[in-house]
Amino acid sequence: MSGSYLARRFGSALFTIVLIILVNFILFRALPGSPERVILRGTPNVTPAQLEAARERWGLNDPVFPDQFVAFLGATVSGDLGYSFVARGQTVGQVLGQRIWPTVILFGLGELVAIVLGLALGAYSGWRRGGPVDVVGNGLSLVLYSTPYFLLGMALLLVFATGLRWFPTFGMLTAGADYPDIWARLGDFGAHLVLPLATVGLGLVGQYAIVMRSSIVETLSEDYVTTARGMGLREGRILRHHALPNALLPTVSLIAINLGYVVAGAITVEVVFNWPGLGTLAVEALTARDYPVLQGVFLLLSVSVVLANLVADLVYGVLDPRVRT
Amino acid sequence: MRSSIRARLAAAAATVGLILAGLSPALAPVAAADPLILRAGTDQDLQVLNPWNSVVVADFEVFTLNYDLLVNFGQDLEPVEGFAESWDQDGTTWTFHIRPGMLWSDGEPATAADVVYTFQLILDAVDTDYGCLGQCYLDGYLLNAGVTSVTATDETTVVIETEFENTLLLQSYVPILPEHIWSERTLEEIGNHEGVEPFLNEPPVVGTGPYQAVEFEPGNFIRFARNPNDWRAEQGAADEIVIQHFGSIDTAVQALRTGEIDYVRGVLADQFTDLADEPDIQTVEGIANGYTELSFNTGGNSEGYAGSTAALSDVAFRDALGYAIDQDALVEATLGGYGAPGTTIIPPFHTRWHVEPDNPRTFDLAEADRRLTAAGYVLDGEGRRLDKSGAPINLRLTWPDSEEENATNAQFIVEWFDELGIAVDAAVTEEGALIEAVTGPPFGPGDYDIYMWGWVGDPDPTSLLNFFRSEEIGYSSDSFYSNPRYDELFLLQRAESDPATRKTLLAEMQNLVYDEAPYIILYYDAELHAYRTDRFGGWTNQPSEGGTPLFGYGSFGYTKLTDLTAVPTAEPSAAAPSPGATPSPTGGGGDSAASDNTPLIIGIVALVAIIAVGFLAMRRRGPRAEEE
Amino acid sequence: MTAAGASWSPPIPAGRRAGRFDLLFRLIRRPEGAFGVLILATFAALALAPELFVGPLQTAVTAHGTRLSPPSAAFPLGTDELRRDMLNLTVHGARVSMAIGLLATLVTVFIGAVVGIVSGFVGGRVDAVLMRITDFFLVIPTFVLALILTPIIRDLVGSGSTEILGIRMTLIVIVIVIGITSWSSTARIIRSQTLSLKARAFVDRARVIGAGSGHIMRRHILPNVINLIVANAVLVFAGAVLTETTLSFVGLGDPFQPSWGQLLEAARSVGAPGLGAWWYFVPPGVCIVLVVFAFTLVGGALDDLLNPKRRGRG
Repeated sequence: MSGSYLARRFGSALFTIVLIILVNFILFRALPGSPERVILRGTPNVTPAQLEAARERWGLNDPVFPDQFVAFLGATVSGDLGYSFVARGQTVGQVLGQRIWPTVILFGLGELVAIVLGLALGAYSGWRRGGPVDVVGNGLSLVLYSTPYFLLGMALLLVFATGLRWFPTFGMLTAGADYPDIWARLGDFGAHLVLPLATVGLGLVGQYAIVMRSSIVETLSEDYVTTARGMGLREGRILRHHALPNALLPTVSLIAINLGYVVAGAITVEVVFNWPGLGTLAVEALTARDYPVLQGVFLLLSVSVVLANLVADLVYGVLDPRVRT
Repeated sequence: MRSSIRARLAAAAATVGLILAGLSPALAPVAAADPLILRAGTDQDLQVLNPWNSVVVADFEVFTLNYDLLVNFGQDLEPVEGFAESWDQDGTTWTFHIRPGMLWSDGEPATAADVVYTFQLILDAVDTDYGCLGQCYLDGYLLNAGVTSVTATDETTVVIETEFENTLLLQSYVPILPEHIWSERTLEEIGNHEGVEPFLNEPPVVGTGPYQAVEFEPGNFIRFARNPNDWRAEQGAADEIVIQHFGSIDTAVQALRTGEIDYVRGVLADQFTDLADEPDIQTVEGIANGYTELSFNTGGNSEGYAGSTAALSDVAFRDALGYAIDQDALVEATLGGYGAPGTTIIPPFHTRWHVEPDNPRTFDLAEADRRLTAAGYVLDGEGRRLDKSGAPINLRLTWPDSEEENATNAQFIVEWFDELGIAVDAAVTEEGALIEAVTGPPFGPGDYDIYMWGWVGDPDPTSLLNFFRSEEIGYSSDSFYSNPRYDELFLLQRAESDPATRKTLLAEMQNLVYDEAPYIILYYDAELHAYRTDRFGGWTNQPSEGGTPLFGYGSFGYTKLTDLTAVPTAEPSAAAPSPGATPSPTGGGGDSAASDNTPLIIGIVALVAIIAVGFLAMRRRGPRAEEE
Repeated sequence: MTAAGASWSPPIPAGRRAGRFDLLFRLIRRPEGAFGVLILATFAALALAPELFVGPLQTAVTAHGTRLSPPSAAFPLGTDELRRDMLNLTVHGARVSMAIGLLATLVTVFIGAVVGIVSGFVGGRVDAVLMRITDFFLVIPTFVLALILTPIIRDLVGSGSTEILGIRMTLIVIVIVIGITSWSSTARIIRSQTLSLKARAFVDRARVIGAGSGHIMRRHILPNVINLIVANAVLVFAGAVLTETTLSFVGLGDPFQPSWGQLLEAARSVGAPGLGAWWYFVPPGVCIVLVVFAFTLVGGALDDLLNPKRRGRG
């Protein structure tokens, strides 16, 4: 990988992050209503002094440009995202910090399950095109792809939690439970994880299978595969040594690019299962119009996706000689 | 090779386990026996342990578990012993006697000095530029009572001077805090000011209340353990209390059905009806201490206001529209039949103070039409109602996006007013923008015609009376109502200690606002709660008329709970005790599973149907793919 | 981005121009195409004239059922908590969902096509700037941006009950937000196609005879990417319906004009899943899945038909 390739990728990621911060800044200035009014709603005897003090607290008295923007940029870079309107006395950073791990676990595992299953299913379907696995799998993939995550989640919740009572209906751990040992705790966590994880996995597996399938189909029709077949190589060997590695590259790259879309699903799945992650936080913040938190979620998720893409690009660069320029 | 892979996997699994286990802060202290835990669910956000930051009902519930008020609330909201065990009033001088030998939960002595510290904190905060503490919800209790000074004459005696004679001090929702903990913090830290590290009062919390917060996951749950130094003779059966937040109340109700939680606040109407048949679950319909109203911009289009027509300022116009609103229909549709049609501005919850109007309006569109015409608002050739300047009356109707149920009310109001030739342009408004718009001069534009929102009151009705005062225009007044007689009555009732006289004053105020109709009260909301009766007994409504066992006024309900799990069941213990202390989500399953089969069957059928459709579609595609 | 391209659907060079009806005919000769077109035609009919099938939209005042009653002879799909007929609501929901989907698709494809053609044709600095912005929208989680943008834009345009094409302003805002946040992959695809067209002889010929850039883009580039735009629009439509559903589900819909997503939100907010009131959420849920599924089928079929690369390999 050449230095210029590296520099270009890093530069591009940095530029995107600065744009994200700029968008965040513009959004914050464009907010409807003034935040100090929102927060003081219902407060008996709001005096002008209190309003003024509130404006002062949120730095709303300085000129928008450049003072507020420079302050905003500096604050964001140093990790200061301001105070939550709702979680009184807590910084946005603290609020996000409490919610980040549940999301990382749920979606990390969900992605993992979906990638392994989806790629396997897609590869097999593409390889045995028209076979029973392809017909059922592809049909299922398309239906799953067409189903909003929350609908899938509601269906699973209804059947397996409310109906069959196999799994708990909400949360990540039984609140306030005493665990005799770490395994009991882990078991409880696992029981809570099953349904949300299944929802995320099922929601993603369809997309990944579709992409992998078409990628394999494409690859199998490439000239070198035809040549390999001509040379009498066994099908299994062709698949493992030629088709799979080549089909995997664009698929993995597409998965990275589509992380941004996955986030939309993340939000609704967490809401359905009351999973205490960033998605639930985003909807709570939306309902309460807690814009600093909403923007914090946007910033965090955006930057994560940008960085994930950067890593994918770099890995791609290492694996594929054609882009090492 | 194989075994080494397995060993590595085991090691990896253990590592993952360790990481996962580390995710949740502070492992719970292991109790000798399984503690009896009461779990209560709410859809309100749990974000606060510092009482000064309290805003929502759940926040108040949390701090009244942690702390005592100077005077607590009894079953019927009468003053009962709290931090003080007795008190005397002599005109504007109050003497409170603190319980001798009382201890904070950490073992330090709890004395009169703590009361002085807490009240002085508020008085000091009021003197700062910021003007109040934290979210500014609690200071008002001392200010309304006119507190001017607080002194301790000895360890057990507090003397409080007030500006005027009144009894509001006995209803002040102010937690008494331990000076030895809080005095280490500055006013700015406690009051959550910008630029200082805010004091979050993280667990373990030290208080004199019956239960202390020992674990807090903001936005998720708060766990409380019994106060080892509780002074109360009567203590609740729960060893621990967990207040759990739910993103949707539906999930909370499911958890109640499955036995994962014991109590839910804020059940939805149809769920409430449905839960009534459920075994081991009791539902309770309380009356909310508040209402939902339709507010008029009584400033109309006069100087400083931006209403669309001068008719809004006319009492006759507002009164006539009062005949065009069918409160019963709204209760039926929006509240699902729970709650009560609205009349006066003091809700029936305040049984001592609420009066029904002397001249009630009834839903009658013909009467509304007659009154409008009589007041000079006539119809034009096209059937449009004209104001006195001859322009058609088109009213903008809005409500905050945080209270979507008002959209249902709006659908009705649009059609009723349309019958009268008044076009209504109905649309939701973002909450922040709405607050801005409904603020009057000189701080706001007073820019709306009619809008719906609600208020919630205190044990004393004073706060619900405040926002009709002339001096509140620009602050909490959103109808911009102004009537010198009302302003006078407000001050008189506040200083009146004779209940009979005060009731006369309050009745006049309620009728005044009803007749002049700056607000048309749509309904008094219901408080729909539900709880399980198989683990805890002793559920006691507070107040006994229209109250609920929990989420009422202070820790009263928690102290009444009894343990039903200790009672030996008819079945021998062979009926499989749950393995260890592993929390079992399936606890209490089975019993009602049969009645719950419909959603299950439907869900499976729907899934199968969808999959079948996809399968068929792809089958058709199959052969073609082979041809390629 | 990387060499892999930016969309699920690979770029489709428009080899030849097919008549519209010719294309439709070839589409419905394929089983999955016919199936998709059939579903879409059904929903289009419902959306165009819901009154014809179920009468005017029921309101809280005109409703005449009982509260949350299961399906019966009088109400084949049961009623909601305002005593309204779910069949009536679901059919009218088709109109709202499809209309928002269509408008959002038009906005998205318009922005995407303009950015793509201009970027690809003009090149240089303009291209660099436009593609940076495109990449930005491609990579960020646009749904979260939509969550923040919706209440803000709603406040800017004023959410009065002004209607555009019979759609309330609140929903027009949803259309705008979907448009703003989802044009980037269209722009990428159109740009790469424009780049390859630009190098072709007929463009040079037009330039030689003195045609201006605007003229070339309108008269020579656009007709050659129109097939691509159509194929892309079908997939964009599916995405728009899903996005609208999700936005409504988190509470940004309009109860006065219930879309399927809004119905699901209403079902959730009265607790229908827990009440076993399946008739409240199954009809809108199935409709959404069917429509998105049909669009995906048609999109795939169009892709096969219009993609000469695939055809060549057949």
